[in-house]
Amino acid sequence: MNLWLPKSAAGKRWLGLAPSYFIIGIFMLVPMVIMGVFSFLEPNPYGGVKPVGSLAAYVKLFFEYDLEDNLVFNPGYINIIFRSFQLSFGATLLCLVFGFPVAYYITLQPENRRNFYIYLITIPFWTNLLIRTFAWIIILGRGGVIETPLLAAGIIEDSLRMMYTDGAIAIGLTYSYLPLMVLPIYASLEKLDFRLLEAASDLYASRLEVMTKVVIPLCKPGIIAGCILVFIPCLGAFIAPNLLGGGKNLMLGSLVQFQFASARNWPFGAALSMLLLSAVVIMLIFYARAASKRASMEGSD
Amino acid sequence: MIAAIDIRGVTKVYNPASNQPVKALDNVSLTINDNEFFTLLGPSGCGKTTLLRLIAGFEQVSGGAIMLFDEEIVNLEPNQRPINTVFQHYALFPHMTVADNVAFGLERLRKPRSEIDATVERVLTLVKMKELGDRRPNQLSGGQQQRVALARALAPSPKVLLLDEPLSALDLKLRQAMREELKQLQKETGITFVFVTHDQEEALAMSDRIAVMSNGEVQQIGGPTDIYEHPVNRFVADFIGDTNFLDGEIVSFDDDLVTCRIGVQSMFEAENSGGHSIGDKVTLFLRPEKITLSPPDQASNVKTRPGKVANIVYLGNQTAYTLDMGDGIELTAQARPREDGKLPFAMGDSLAVGFSARALRVLAQ
Repeated sequence: MNLWLPKSAAGKRWLGLAPSYFIIGIFMLVPMVIMGVFSFLEPNPYGGVKPVGSLAAYVKLFFEYDLEDNLVFNPGYINIIFRSFQLSFGATLLCLVFGFPVAYYITLQPENRRNFYIYLITIPFWTNLLIRTFAWIIILGRGGVIETPLLAAGIIEDSLRMMYTDGAIAIGLTYSYLPLMVLPIYASLEKLDFRLLEAASDLYASRLEVMTKVVIPLCKPGIIAGCILVFIPCLGAFIAPNLLGGGKNLMLGSLVQFQFASARNWPFGAALSMLLLSAVVIMLIFYARAASKRASMEGSD
Repeated sequence: MIAAIDIRGVTKVYNPASNQPVKALDNVSLTINDNEFFTLLGPSGCGKTTLLRLIAGFEQVSGGAIMLFDEEIVNLEPNQRPINTVFQHYALFPHMTVADNVAFGLERLRKPRSEIDATVERVLTLVKMKELGDRRPNQLSGGQQQRVALARALAPSPKVLLLDEPLSALDLKLRQAMREELKQLQKETGITFVFVTHDQEEALAMSDRIAVMSNGEVQQIGGPTDIYEHPVNRFVADFIGDTNFLDGEIVSFDDDLVTCRIGVQSMFEAENSGGHSIGDKVTLFLRPEKITLSPPDQASNVKTRPGKVANIVYLGNQTAYTLDMGDGIELTAQARPREDGKLPFAMGDSLAVGFSARALRVLAQ
């Protein structure tokens, strides 16, 4: 008889869940607390932090010191954050525009072929993201796959200068995270009862109305999940902004990476991460609220 | 009479390009009259649902024409046809309330809001679901969902209402109650109902006319009594109700009756339906309820034959007796239980089996 085993049901449940608490604690909470603590410390110019409390990192988000050592408002970082949201939003929208038809098309295929297409969707994940993003340089860049034939055919006379633009970043982000949009939308479309589409068209709905009144409302959970899965990693992305944006159009992710790797300002990087984290958490709370409201409205199903 | 739907030589082939084309409908022609309760009856795979889907527009015909009040509709999309469908599994929109489901068709037709609200209330009242307009489909029982599906299809006042085995998912009592209601609803609304079912009892109870289908072809079209009493072939006679079949050969006939030899030497007389000649191989059919059974000493005025009870199947209100008539012939007959609830006859009883020549009919082989 193991005397140290808990007797009560609640105690046993806790014991059963202990491994997952442990894993979440070690791999999620502890690193997050470290980040939180670091954001309130002073940077060590040689890397790492000095154990001295400071709000300097958060002040730096909005202000800088001018030549006379006065604190003045600095919109630079706010602009980067704003552009990050803009680009992430654009990339999410592009993912939705391209991902939804793909998911819908796969759903319409015979069952044995669907799994094969889903398998194809996941294939890009097998290769390193860095290498796949480099491929876009070859496609978009000067003398690249797109420009060369156009130049040769005389359709354009000069380089299109597609590289190192926000557009290139958006394309890179869209490409990177498209599968994360397709998969959840497919999962919800797959559960869709296609007889409802017939019922809708029987009741005088045009093809567009069948989509907007029946298909999209019914796979909204998948669409929202896809948007969240794309938007959040886009905000934190640094490979596409660095390679395709040329590092001059910084995004939040590349800014954080820069603070840790090159600028040696860990507290500032940590503060930026905390800002990103709180933005994401706020968005998820809104989503969870909307989802639970919907669930209670639609009953137990 | 005005034809609501005229099916003209409609053929439907699935996978026509493949090496295994499936012919679901083969040159089907039939006319469904305005304000009629018309039933497409047949076993599964007979093409009845295919025909319904062609009328609704969910499938394209491979050949032939479908006219709706003299207007060709085969090239119209489902949403362009003034026809609504009650689906087998209701297909209610789960993300909408009952009232929104019913309003869906009217909204797509861009009716004014006041008219939509009034119609929704009227139709929900018609199907006795007025109080449940705010519910979601998943909060309703099967019977209630059935009513909502009906209301939704009736709300846009279609010229024709298609019903695809709408009662098959309901339990027996509810199904019987809904039969009455559907028939009543058809009378009240005056809308042409095209009802698909494999349940012959349902078809007989509700329909003005029935088309019996098999293997993608229409076997017979007629009123319930026509179909039941005068089936044109063995398939129809067999599919509708219980039947005794006697295979034999015509040995003689006069204006009224034909005489057939069944088995080795048994002679049966049947009504002469015309066009027969001596030596024809024919099938006679005889409904079990047209056979009277009595103890041999109480032989009535009807001509009787001796028979022996070979099997008994108790059905409650009836008992089915299998009778050995000798000469390798077996007949199934029915008898009511006695007033004290006991069975009138026992296994092995010798009985006088009576039926008139009028009850026996000749079917084409």
